[in-house]
Amino acid sequence: MTEPTMTRLQTQVAAGSGTRVRSGSGKNQFSYIFAWELHERLLWFCKLRWLAAAGLALVSVLGPFFSMPLTRPSLAVIAALVAIYNLVFVYVLRVRLGPEKDYAALKGLAILQMVTDLAALLFTVHFTGGCASPVLPFVVFHMAIGTIMIEGRIMYALAFAVSTAAASLFALELTGILAQVPTVSGGQSTVGSCVLSTAMLVVLVFGVVYLTDSVTSRFKARNIELHQTTTELRHALDEQEQLERRKSHYMRISAHQLRSPLGTIKTSIQVLIDGYLDPGSPDGHRLLEGTAARVDSLLDIVNDLLELAKMREGRARAPWAREVSVNQILADIFDTVDPFAREANVELVPDFINEGAAVLDWAVPPDLVYAFENLIHNAIKYSKPEGGTVTVALGIDRTHAMVVIADDGIGIPSDLQDDVFLEFVRAPNAKHARAEGTGLGLSIVREAAQMHGGKVSLESAEGLGTTVTVVLPLHHIPPEIIDR
Amino acid sequence: MARPTVLVADDDVVFVQSLAAVLRTRYHVRTVANGTEALATVEDDPPDLVILDVMMDHMSEGFDVARALRSNEATALIPIIILTGVDRVYNLRMEVDESWVPADQYFEKPISPVVLMRKVGDLVGPGEAKPDP
Repeated sequence: MTEPTMTRLQTQVAAGSGTRVRSGSGKNQFSYIFAWELHERLLWFCKLRWLAAAGLALVSVLGPFFSMPLTRPSLAVIAALVAIYNLVFVYVLRVRLGPEKDYAALKGLAILQMVTDLAALLFTVHFTGGCASPVLPFVVFHMAIGTIMIEGRIMYALAFAVSTAAASLFALELTGILAQVPTVSGGQSTVGSCVLSTAMLVVLVFGVVYLTDSVTSRFKARNIELHQTTTELRHALDEQEQLERRKSHYMRISAHQLRSPLGTIKTSIQVLIDGYLDPGSPDGHRLLEGTAARVDSLLDIVNDLLELAKMREGRARAPWAREVSVNQILADIFDTVDPFAREANVELVPDFINEGAAVLDWAVPPDLVYAFENLIHNAIKYSKPEGGTVTVALGIDRTHAMVVIADDGIGIPSDLQDDVFLEFVRAPNAKHARAEGTGLGLSIVREAAQMHGGKVSLESAEGLGTTVTVVLPLHHIPPEIIDR
Repeated sequence: MARPTVLVADDDVVFVQSLAAVLRTRYHVRTVANGTEALATVEDDPPDLVILDVMMDHMSEGFDVARALRSNEATALIPIIILTGVDRVYNLRMEVDESWVPADQYFEKPISPVVLMRKVGDLVGPGEAKPDP
């Protein structure tokens, strides 16, 4: 056996040994959830903004009562601007960007809202007393809300930008480049109070971003975890449902396969009882023989179903399992099937005699015998009427034994090659070959291979022959045995 | 009057033997093992009645044959009996939707010879009580 073939097969075995590939696009699902949340929060933010615009408009009207005559028109303009851009944001959110739209676009809009709000706030701060403005805490509040919606690193950048902008504003006011607007109490800001306000603003803005970001990050992580768990549970539930359906289908097919010969047997007996045929006549005798054959086939099906069930239960992990030589098993089977091959005019070629010993650490001998005997029997049974050749080869490397059974018989139609390991699937050309079969043999072979930690595969061309490959790990021991 | 001809299409050799033994008491019987042979036989020499199994080489081969016979003007009037072990639901489905499988009767296996002969008699007449030549 060539090295590349063994390597390919080992890779296949390794690939089939457990890594579960999760289907579906989890990332997209999370994006959708985040987009939905962000969309909701941005709409809520817009509602708050209506309140802010109304508040500003109110202050501009009530300004004279709070000794802020100069600020009245400026605040009214800011209130109007806030209302206008809020209208645009609401339109974009409701009409152009639903939660099903791009998450990145919603994130961009959130950043734009933060920037415009902070700009409006800084103008308001300027027109309500600069560094002594009563509006200054709203900057901190706004940063906290922003951090709930926007990721931390962008908020830190915005915190830096707003701190710098506020510090520059206060500096311009103190140096007289920008006119200082009197505070509510009517006084002017001093250098000391402005430095203190700026320092406090910077500490508060960064502190609030840090705290809010750490809380929301944890919340988001939990959210993702929760969603992943839900998805996995749903997946497990789907698998369970599929399994139940497969079980039910299997039971139905099995019952049908049992009912079919029973129906024939019952009809034949009734025909004989009703006297349509005399059991002693040649036709009657022929019918009795046929009926007996159907009883045999019924027994074969029942036996194979039992065999399959036992293997699926792992034969309770076979307490009588032991170290087994594959070479010996193949040699014993050759002795058994040889007369059958001669009768079918098939030459049996044992290509495993000179191969090294393939010893499995853990194997259930009758199951391995059943599997290989079944495959070799099939190879002989489905040979061409004029006979043919069946070759049984054995390959070994450090970790696996590979048994290849090749024939030049009738082959399997390409559309059925994936299904022949399923229960009760028989190719039409196999039925036409008039070879008896329960349709369970290959299912049992697959089950036996899997029970020993291996796998079975098949290549075939109709009219040219079939090659079945069984790969078994040398050192496989079922986990239940190790745990015991 | 010639004995009516019944064509039996079923891949179960023993079942066909039984059916033929019963039908031959009054009818001329021809047997085939799959749908393709059934259609070819009907085309060569149309029988008076066709009895079809469902699952032969393919899953719904009998149904396909029944539909093919009914859609062909030359064979549309040949009575059809579906005789299979597929599912009891088919009987109900045929009652509510006659166009689903165009057959005159659906029977499940096993079949009582008396019931079969009565239905065949209804469809093609009593036949003649003499052995097939």
